[in-house]
Amino acid sequence: MRDTGKALASYIRDSSARLAEACTACGECYRACPMVSPILAVTDAAPAAVMAGIRDILRDAPGTAEAIAFAGACVRSGECTQACPENLDAAFLMRLALLRVRGTLGDAPRIAVNHDPKWSARVKAFARLTMSEEERAEWL
Amino acid sequence: MAVTPDANVTFWYGCNMSRHGEIVRLVTHILDAIGVSAAPTGGPGYCCGSPLEANARIAAGMAARTVEKFNEAGRDTVVTWCPSCHMNMDDLMAPVTEAAFETLHITQLLAARRERLRLLLVQPVEARVLLHAHYGFQGRVPVNTDVPMLLGMIPGLTMVDHNLRVPGHMCSAIAPKPGLLAQAHHETMAAMEESGADTLVTIFHSCHREAVALERGRPIRIVNWIHLLAEAIGLPYTDEYKLWRNAEDPRTAIGADRITASGDIAFAQLVEPELRRPPTI
Repeated sequence: MRDTGKALASYIRDSSARLAEACTACGECYRACPMVSPILAVTDAAPAAVMAGIRDILRDAPGTAEAIAFAGACVRSGECTQACPENLDAAFLMRLALLRVRGTLGDAPRIAVNHDPKWSARVKAFARLTMSEEERAEWL
Repeated sequence: MAVTPDANVTFWYGCNMSRHGEIVRLVTHILDAIGVSAAPTGGPGYCCGSPLEANARIAAGMAARTVEKFNEAGRDTVVTWCPSCHMNMDDLMAPVTEAAFETLHITQLLAARRERLRLLLVQPVEARVLLHAHYGFQGRVPVNTDVPMLLGMIPGLTMVDHNLRVPGHMCSAIAPKPGLLAQAHHETMAAMEESGADTLVTIFHSCHREAVALERGRPIRIVNWIHLLAEAIGLPYTDEYKLWRNAEDPRTAIGADRITASGDIAFAQLVEPELRRPPTI
């Protein structure tokens, strides 16, 4: 049986390495990000330095505090992709960086991870209120 | 209203849409009326992996199971609602587990069949509507242009121009960041005043559940874009989530029998705290 966890981890590592190689750390994505001004920890950082730190994270290095904060601030606005002069999928690059700092590949998380342990039960509890028994049997 | 379908799709509504059963029902009816037979599918059994993405092994297992179930269903198109599910399918699910189907967002499908939809939009809906638009997802699927285009076909309805853009791809992305959701809601209410809009339209479920409480004490209406299409078609619906969230006592609004039937303890622990949460602003 295929190990999907290993397959996903490999895909994340390969994609991370590919995008880290292609990224020039020019910082245009950082300048375009609507989250930079609300996230005080990174507002004074030099864009190129932050993105160099993001490349490090993608290459399995610890990354700088500013880069970790920037990755942790990502809410998938996608403005970075529009801004990238290399035409990279910068939003995916940042998503990969976020996965890495969240510890997705088994490393210790470098940021606080929000997780609702009751997510599945909550989804089902609402379904019991808003969907009929027949609908739940067919739709869930 | 039903017509002979010329397409069979899976309507993958996601997980947290279980709060909005009427939207799932309305989407299914609307698709049926434009010739698309849709099988609604969602909940934790069809997870995209994002709720558990801090652990690749668990997220990958859930995502692979979902792709395999879609493959087994044999329909050639999976129509998404949730932008997280849609992007996860493209970015992390299909690259790892081969998908035997095309993925389309619901707005793309309706936009492609807009001339059929236009014929159904016969009931005037008098409203000046502001779109609750996010930056994100627009680069992947042009929701911020397609939703106004679709709503613009409704007689009596005016989409107001405003450059409101909220960070993230939907409000659940910004809700955990301290103060950001409240800031977004302040900006949204200011945009309503500036544009003279009387109706705020949400695109996604997580934005809807966060925004509906803003109706309290304000002469505005907050609806999802599917609600407006339903009104123009003449499909009856009740936005129960909004009703319960804005009720003085959600328990009374829902009714004791219904709560008991859904499970008293689960309601008290999992549902009630959310329904009693005060508005952000």
